[in-house]
Amino acid sequence: MQRMTGEAAGRPMVAWRKAGQGPSVVCVHGAGVSSRELRPLLEALGPRHDAWSVDLPGFGANAGPARPLGLRALADSLADWLTAVGLDQLTAVGLDQAVLLGSSFGCQIAVDLAVRRPERVTALVLVGPTVDPAARGFLRQLLRWAHNAPQERASMAPLNLADYRDAGPRRLVEAFAEALRDRIEDKLPYVPVPTLVVRGARDRLVPQEWAEEVTRLLPAGRLAVVAESGHMVPYRQPHALAALVTDFLTCLTGDQATAAGRPQAQGPAR
Amino acid sequence: MKAARSVAAFDSATGMVRALSRFLQGRDIPAIGQLPAAFETPMSGLLGTLNRLPVPVQERVYAFSGWAEAIPQRRAGEVRSAALAEWITGHYPQRRYPVIFVGSANGALVHLAAALDAPWLPQTLLVPVRRHGVAPDDARGDLDASRDAGRALLAANPDLALHHMHDPNQDRLMIAGMTYFRVKWLRLPEAYRRFIRDLLAPGGLLVAVDCTLRWPTTTVDDRYVFQFGALGDATAEEYHQGGPRVAALLARYGAPTRHWDPPAPDGTGPEAEWGLRTDLLDDMAAFARRHRLRLDALRFDSPQRLSPAVADLCRAAYAERGVPTDRLLVESFLLLDPRQALRTGSVPFWTVFGTETCRAGLEKYLDGTEPYDEIRVLLFNHGTESIGLAPAEEWRRTAARARKIGVLTGVDAAEYPRDFAGLVRSHQALGRIRTRWPLPLPLNVDAAVEAFTGREEITWSRVE
Repeated sequence: MQRMTGEAAGRPMVAWRKAGQGPSVVCVHGAGVSSRELRPLLEALGPRHDAWSVDLPGFGANAGPARPLGLRALADSLADWLTAVGLDQLTAVGLDQAVLLGSSFGCQIAVDLAVRRPERVTALVLVGPTVDPAARGFLRQLLRWAHNAPQERASMAPLNLADYRDAGPRRLVEAFAEALRDRIEDKLPYVPVPTLVVRGARDRLVPQEWAEEVTRLLPAGRLAVVAESGHMVPYRQPHALAALVTDFLTCLTGDQATAAGRPQAQGPAR
Repeated sequence: MKAARSVAAFDSATGMVRALSRFLQGRDIPAIGQLPAAFETPMSGLLGTLNRLPVPVQERVYAFSGWAEAIPQRRAGEVRSAALAEWITGHYPQRRYPVIFVGSANGALVHLAAALDAPWLPQTLLVPVRRHGVAPDDARGDLDASRDAGRALLAANPDLALHHMHDPNQDRLMIAGMTYFRVKWLRLPEAYRRFIRDLLAPGGLLVAVDCTLRWPTTTVDDRYVFQFGALGDATAEEYHQGGPRVAALLARYGAPTRHWDPPAPDGTGPEAEWGLRTDLLDDMAAFARRHRLRLDALRFDSPQRLSPAVADLCRAAYAERGVPTDRLLVESFLLLDPRQALRTGSVPFWTVFGTETCRAGLEKYLDGTEPYDEIRVLLFNHGTESIGLAPAEEWRRTAARARKIGVLTGVDAAEYPRDFAGLVRSHQALGRIRTRWPLPLPLNVDAAVEAFTGREEITWSRVE
């Protein structure tokens, strides 16, 4: 795995890469954490895909500005970084731009980017998309989080603690507040690209009905449920998730290859 | 003997009467109508605990639940047909209905009736009777042990026929401690007559639901037949002559034999659970003539044949109301709920059991209709790894034909078909679906008749 430093808005942004042949998949971490939890997934994705995992400004290996960035600014940084590392170029496999894979709060960033900068993204994978509007509130989310905790691997806890230490309390609180403020449900109907929604069957933060609602709101969404997993599917079931991503992208490239022969095939594959 | 005590709560007829009558009362059906909604969550937890027990223990609990519902043999002669009929009609709200259905049990029919604001009165009820010391694979033993109780029941009820049923494939746990007496009315019982006379709206329509499915039977007495095996994936030939699938089932359950030795059939009769005895139809025709009522017959040769027609009708009705038509709810045996289907804008497709044949029927329906965005599959747990049962994974694969969401709803795939909590969980899961719609006004019956005309697999025609 390579550590790479790109630049976004004048600040260095650290990312990890497991280079591969297939389309580029960029993994975006959740609130308060970093790409640490996504590395098992990166290992599983590469080398079938050109897999990336990026630390957003202020989290993990990135110092970030003194004042925490809001969700939109984080999405913009990600877009700038995609340009900086050349992931908005045409690739040989027929998928131009990157596939964004969000985990938890990372889904909100990916959706925000896909809606505002559709030219940057070719497809989305939303793993455990937050925040269920039926439980929008610190306390309710905290309860769900506590309820979900027993479903996760114990080995994830030290990684979380390291991430929280790196981010610092102010950024941590602000990231959760941003997650609660952002109304992903209002943006989903405008996501212009094919999207795979993934939920862990035992995810207590993202109940089945919310995952279904997310999929329903997307113009071209599809739901997959991963057995034996809580909220953090990338950490708990990296290989199952990687297989789903591969299937999804295979379908997509197939569709696009077919679509290339058709003159007016512009919209998302349905 | 009280009617409610003598009939089985887990049977198709009682379950469907419960589902439909609760719909007509404006209620849905938590835990297949067996529990008040408030008990749903604790019950789900309790049954979930059962799932963690070893398989033999689960099977005993399942068998015990059947035994506990059955009546002692010595009391079979106390069953009263009149009380049974009154118990059925007592489920329905006392108000006028534009249509009344009478006849075969059918899950798709429950949706049709619900859409038309119509009640349904079953011809057949299941009276489970306890018996001891007979192995599930010993059909002759079952008949010998229960024949006298059957005769006593018939002697007390001249308007009933007894279809004594023994199915060691699908009911093998249930029949460990009891036998299945399916009673069929030969004539309209007085309570049904009164119900129709009092509650059918002027100009209303009486419809006989006639599933013509037949099965080999052995005549025991006048009005008394013995049916070995039942509709499912195994054929009548397999039940009677055996075969590799039968041998595998018996090996799976550690039986000492590799084929069954049932009493030899001497004819065929209406299938015990689903088929209609036409004696009732003749009596309905006479009744209709006397009261100048219009009598129609809705006819099909196997229970699931009605499902595509009802699904198409509901889908068209949603389109007319401007409700999206992209959601399919695949129901299973007793897991059906017209209110949840309508509330969630789901097109209902009822499957008889979780068998491969039923799944193939669903696949065929999907092949011939516009694709669905969402497909939810409910699976009824009957506790047995019966012949031809499609694994949960196969059902999930069919659900995955949905464009967006294809899921098993309320099913613990790892536990199926012994997931007791599934009975409760599926209702809870349906209740959580977020997009919901107001309940529609009743459909016009003429529109329904018209929609059914010209279909190959069913006929809806006037009885002269």
